Amino acid sequence: MLQVLVNSLALGSAYALLALGFVLILNAVNAVNFAQGDLVMAGGFVAVAFGMLLPVPGIVLLPLVLVVMALIGRALAAVAYFPLKSRPPVSVFISTIAVGIILQNLANALFGAEPRAAPPLFAGGLVELGGIVVSRQALAIIAVAAVMIAAQYVLFQRTALGRRLRATAQDREMAEALGIRVNHVIAATFAIAAAYAGAAGLLLANTFFVTPTDGGNYILKAYIAVVIGGWGSVPGAVVGALLIALFEVMLPSLPLIVPGLAGLPGASWLFSQTIATILLYLMLLVVLVVRPQGLFGEAVQRRA
Amino acid sequence: MIATLQNGRHGPLALGALLLVAWPLVFSTPYDLRVFTLAGIYALLVLGYQFVFGHAGALALTQGAFFGLGAYVTGILGARYGQGFLVTFPLSIALPVLLAAVVAAPVLRLETHYFALATLGIAQVLLLVCLLAEPLTGGANGIPGVPGVEILGLSLPRGWPLLLFVWAWVIAGAFVAQRITGGLYGKAFQLMRASATAAQCVGIDIARLRLRTFLFSAAYAGAAGALFVHTLRVVSPEALEFHVMVAVLAMTVVGGRTRIAGAIVGAVLLVHLPEWFRFLESYYLIAYGVALLAMIVLAPDGLVGELERRWPQAPETLPTAEPLPPRSKLIPREPLLAVSDLRKRFGGVRAVDGVSLALKRGEIVGLIGPNGSGKTTLINVITGLLQAENGAVRFAGEPLGGLRPDTIARRGLARTFQNLDLVDELTAIDNVAVARAAFEGAGLRQALLAVGRDPTLERARRQARFLLERIGLGEEMGRPCGDLPHGTRRRVEIARALALQPSLLLLDEPAAGLSESEQADLARRVEILRDDGITMLIVEHNMPFLMPLADRLICLNVGRVIANGTPEEVQADPRVIEAYLGRRGEQA
Repeated sequence: MLQVLVNSLALGSAYALLALGFVLILNAVNAVNFAQGDLVMAGGFVAVAFGMLLPVPGIVLLPLVLVVMALIGRALAAVAYFPLKSRPPVSVFISTIAVGIILQNLANALFGAEPRAAPPLFAGGLVELGGIVVSRQALAIIAVAAVMIAAQYVLFQRTALGRRLRATAQDREMAEALGIRVNHVIAATFAIAAAYAGAAGLLLANTFFVTPTDGGNYILKAYIAVVIGGWGSVPGAVVGALLIALFEVMLPSLPLIVPGLAGLPGASWLFSQTIATILLYLMLLVVLVVRPQGLFGEAVQRRA
Repeated sequence: MIATLQNGRHGPLALGALLLVAWPLVFSTPYDLRVFTLAGIYALLVLGYQFVFGHAGALALTQGAFFGLGAYVTGILGARYGQGFLVTFPLSIALPVLLAAVVAAPVLRLETHYFALATLGIAQVLLLVCLLAEPLTGGANGIPGVPGVEILGLSLPRGWPLLLFVWAWVIAGAFVAQRITGGLYGKAFQLMRASATAAQCVGIDIARLRLRTFLFSAAYAGAAGALFVHTLRVVSPEALEFHVMVAVLAMTVVGGRTRIAGAIVGAVLLVHLPEWFRFLESYYLIAYGVALLAMIVLAPDGLVGELERRWPQAPETLPTAEPLPPRSKLIPREPLLAVSDLRKRFGGVRAVDGVSLALKRGEIVGLIGPNGSGKTTLINVITGLLQAENGAVRFAGEPLGGLRPDTIARRGLARTFQNLDLVDELTAIDNVAVARAAFEGAGLRQALLAVGRDPTLERARRQARFLLERIGLGEEMGRPCGDLPHGTRRRVEIARALALQPSLLLLDEPAAGLSESEQADLARRVEILRDDGITMLIVEHNMPFLMPLADRLICLNVGRVIANGTPEEVQADPRVIEAYLGRRGEQA
């Protein structure tokens, strides 16, 4: 039981990094970055590439991945956001889809379609912790993600850059009038968002491997997390991501936790990853229809 | 296509059609023909997608799913149950339409990003269900051995026959799409896309319009899916995967979102793009992404939109003016408008806080009050754009509570907007003509059955000219509204409201931004409208404009009526002066 919890928490923390980046861009420019999932995939491959060059643990690669991904994020802003900033938000949606296609096929051309694994953060294997056996990697993921989420919080709440980022997200024109160089701030937001997605890629690419087509799955997770958590809410996105992961890991593991369930007819069919995903989407549709402001309320007032 | 021909773009269009016909004649290996057949299938799919994405302006991500569903219906019925085209094809269209109808109710009222996500979710569920339902769908492997097109025992061979069959459907689909979107009904789409609010306020039922675009998209997608399976002879989950959706989106963006030629150009180009970029080997799909990105950045209206900009169409000759048919007058019941104890709050702010007022037939009443006093909110509640928490609005004796804005507008209560809400790309004539859609019987059946140019559009244009002349526009009415000066645009908006033949007209700051001579002209025309029997409520800050015009003034402050009487009485009222404080001195 605890093992399952640790695993879902690990998956959830990686999702949280991804969703965090998604919501930061959403707040800064009021547009959906559909390439966010492909940035996770890209981060995974960047980690794989560095891992091939340098035989060091993943934690050492993390800063490198963050830097490379921040540059990619900056480039994303330059090609897919700034040329379109005075157009309707749907244009950015499509342009980021295009960037997603480019990233996906670039990865495919460079690394091939086979799943690849990035090095573990510290070391692989299992560790016994208070009587339960959990994987080291899962614990390391939780720790790294927690540090990064905390760092984001500190950056936004305690630094001058953070104040500028928040001011831009709240009211771009006002921020501009106050002398904030809004374009720099937006570029920084894209860089941070991409770096966080890349970190998620590094964290996930050891346990779950990485393939060029992973992006579509991740963007849906980020999207759903942000809807559940309340459109535009940063803490909501983190909570939403954790809930999604909990559900994804829990449902297939239910027969292990409650042994009686395994004997039920069709149990292996029902308690599967696919059914979990279907139920997740169905729940998403219900949330959208019944409570479009998300479970915890909407953080941004949509401009009429 | 037909409209484009008539607009005098024969040259480029004929050249394009010629190229299209020449293509398969030149590149005619079996492989080339197959690729060109696929291009036709995608053209049909994109034609459908243009309804919801182009004309309704909604980013639906279900088009690939409807396509896949149509494919599976044909695949399962054809391969497993031996059914022929006459059974499988109608069902391949019917099932996606049914699915669209079922999901439409909850999904269509969602806004942009939510709508995109919800439709994406639906598409993903469909894919996963298809993978799970292995006994029926063959799971991840799909179903091989789907028969070709078989009609009454005759089977259509591959190569040229199939190609011609598919492209015949493209032509049929293009014809239907042209009929639906090319006339007055199509102008209603354009207004809805530019401003849903403005569309509702000229009597257009946007919920119904949106639903129809969604259903049409599904129908075209189902047909394309069926033809796809007949071409490939297998059906697999690939048909449901997201990359089909991405391809459709890319084709629509590259070709053009609302142009029929755009659907064909986009589909033919992007289906062949991977063939042309094959020398790039594994990098060719990157070129695909780059092409999409470049198009959205450099040519947002697509290739066809770019061409139209290069060869702008000759300005249409103005129609002759035609007066509007008399409208059955409302039973003269007084007061014309009665508002009682109306309340509307936004969060903690009471924008309208117990307003009661009445308008007699033939009156011009000025509604004044400082900024934020609730004037526009009051108008929005009266016209049905906002629902009040409390109170009642009666128009000619009938309660308006709970009615949709378009219903209220059709009853003869018209309005203009403080921030002009016109379609910039349409001419002034068409901006006004579109408001006749609800009255000239512009609808689906009407659009499909019309012969030649849509007669309702022609008549609506003649009526629009009549209205625009009455409000003082000349030759400039044939120019796009985006090119017209502010004062002229104000008048176009008033003419559009007049197209509803209203008994009551609500003008929201009509004099804002007008020069003094324009104001004087507007005042004169407002008086003429009054003499024609139109009652008016004018929201205005401009007292010199309003004072000589209004029979009565009503002053709002923080959501309440603080004064109601002759202009002189209200102007002298100490509460009114207090509400405005220094503001009045500067305006008067």
